Amino acid sequence: MSMNQPLTGCVMKGPKSITLDFAPIAASFLYQSAALGIQTSANENCAGDEALCFEFETPRTAPVICQITRWEDPSRQTPVSENIMQAACGLMSVHGRTHRQPKPLGLNYVSTLTAALALQGSIAASIGRLRGLPVSSSTVSMAAAGLLSMSQYIAGATASEFPETAKAAKTTGATCPLPGSFSACPPFVSLDGVIFELETLDAGPWQKFWGELGVSSAAAGKGWRAFLLRYARAAAPLPDELPLAISKLTYHRISQICAKTGMAICPVRSIDDRAQDDDARQLWQQGPWSFSSFSSEPKPNGEYLRAGGALPGEDLPLSGFTVIESCRRIQGPLAGHLLALLGATVIRIEPPGGDPLRGMPPMAEGCSARFQALNRLKTVREIDIKSAAGKTEIRELAQHADVFLHNWAPGKAVLLNLDHGDLAALNPSLVYAYAGGWATDCAEHVSSNSMPGTDFMAQAYSGVAGKVAGAGSSRGGSLFTVLDVLGGVVAAQGITIALLNRCMNNAGAKVTSSLMSAATLLCAEDFRDIYSLPASGSKPSASIINEVYATKQGRIAVECPDMDTVLRLAEALDITAGIENKGFQRCLSEVFPLRTADEWAELFQQAGVPSAVVIEDLAEMQALAYLQPGLTPGSYTQVNSPWRFK
Amino acid sequence: MPITISIPTILRPLTDNQKRIEVDGSSVLDAIERMEQRYPGVKERLVTGGQTHRFINIYVNDNDIRFSEGLSTRLTDGDLLTILPAVAGG
Repeated sequence: MSMNQPLTGCVMKGPKSITLDFAPIAASFLYQSAALGIQTSANENCAGDEALCFEFETPRTAPVICQITRWEDPSRQTPVSENIMQAACGLMSVHGRTHRQPKPLGLNYVSTLTAALALQGSIAASIGRLRGLPVSSSTVSMAAAGLLSMSQYIAGATASEFPETAKAAKTTGATCPLPGSFSACPPFVSLDGVIFELETLDAGPWQKFWGELGVSSAAAGKGWRAFLLRYARAAAPLPDELPLAISKLTYHRISQICAKTGMAICPVRSIDDRAQDDDARQLWQQGPWSFSSFSSEPKPNGEYLRAGGALPGEDLPLSGFTVIESCRRIQGPLAGHLLALLGATVIRIEPPGGDPLRGMPPMAEGCSARFQALNRLKTVREIDIKSAAGKTEIRELAQHADVFLHNWAPGKAVLLNLDHGDLAALNPSLVYAYAGGWATDCAEHVSSNSMPGTDFMAQAYSGVAGKVAGAGSSRGGSLFTVLDVLGGVVAAQGITIALLNRCMNNAGAKVTSSLMSAATLLCAEDFRDIYSLPASGSKPSASIINEVYATKQGRIAVECPDMDTVLRLAEALDITAGIENKGFQRCLSEVFPLRTADEWAELFQQAGVPSAVVIEDLAEMQALAYLQPGLTPGSYTQVNSPWRFK
Repeated sequence: MPITISIPTILRPLTDNQKRIEVDGSSVLDAIERMEQRYPGVKERLVTGGQTHRFINIYVNDNDIRFSEGLSTRLTDGDLLTILPAVAGG
């Protein structure tokens, strides 16, 4: 039974006017709220420039304050913007690794993440209230959202054993330098100018494909290692031989070779292309989650409220709930990690011998730092899910759990007899969650499902890669795992929504989300424009200045959304040339090298100009006072929970 | 001919927690089998059906053996054999 808009009857009150830097967050927040059936209205109590505030009310709970701040430290009021936060949290430098210099993503990425986490926080707080927790507000900062997106990369850069560093041989040599940039990184370009992604998770198709193109086995092997590591390092220095061979063939011919060798191929499409797909508009309208109910006999009111008994005051909103997670890689494990940060007990199913990614360097205290960044709060059960005994064990776990989360390949759940119907028959109150690559877990529903549902394929197919390319920051897409991270947040958010619905309506549910649905969320305002629908809030115009400048030491990102800010910038820089003057930009480039990025940032903070020192070495973040509240140093630097509940 | 095998953390419970092992071996499979004699259980974690496990990459001096002669890849004195998990997103 379909139950989209599961929060119908709930109300979200927000401010009438919104400051410029919060506008993209508010637009995404209101889009998501509307997709869930939440009624939105204005409330003067929510006014104020220091934070973006909403009040979330369910039919069963008093209002919960949903507060969105700029920084983790509430006393820091330095004005920000999307790009400023990308610079301050290291995202710009990770995305820019393939270009040897920090680059903005060209997406409202941190803003969208912030909106999703804020909405999830207020929903989780309401669950807490329903379960007797004295929680009245949830706070999320843009900085916390930005840091969360970087958690794996920060772990890799700060691991106690051979950390990865952006600056080779910077310290004692006991570091592993990240590869420099190469023009030979994906995506690829064919003879007829088509930009496209290739994907395979096995060496076999890769080897056959390049063999067909006449590339030596040695070069293909070196390329394979770089290709695999691009998920972890946001860089893929392929030997020149590979893109050279590609450049001699048409896209059609390359597609034929892909079909023959088992390699997946997807052209980098535009948002306009994606908007014309049969399923695109419906996916945009329903939001990034699909909900269906499978409980035909709801239990009496209150049955699902107090899992594990009454909650002590110091507990978190999901304390006492049990999540069974059978996920690999990034998106699914991140979803489980977020639920653990909200207090849930997460039991992670790993294959016998453990997840091989535990051994992925760099290491911290015997385990991959990157792996720990997503899995450190979970308990592990090693189960062979293909064996009869393993399936029985999973059924037993699911019978007593609140959530079952998996990211198996499309169709695998049915084959294993562990689909939502199978587990709902054992536990009607279960929230069964699928976090996939494409928009459905049916194996052959859409043509895209024949391709591996991985981040870079989804970026290419969804139009996200095209949008990144359009912003001029890459040939197409990002090697930063844009959709794995947002997809993980969306999956955790969908589960939290289903849990609130269960608390209110006493029914279990299936919730499906995907990298594709996350991509649709990320570009929701673009789809709105294409479908010629009214905006959910005021639409900000493009900033007058939005650049990264080289200084005497380091780089600084500066954004001036309006003329007043440009005038303050000119005054701070002591530039007298008129801003309409063609020489103004040249003056900026000449003046910035006179001081360090830190010095300029302090000056601009006083002048009220949105700016941030561009983080180029992720290992240095833990030393920065304004980021410290979001980080915990140790054998690798952990990114803290993005939520604060009061 | 002695070669060095770098043992990933996940296999160290089987190798008395040793990070590096020296074994003789004329090929990758030969080296793995000699390692198996000393540390039973290692081979099945690396090899299935005569092939390297899908989620395991084996390198000889930074060269992926799949792109050489697979488990038959020849070894010479002093070679470093590294075992690493494959990584992917999604």
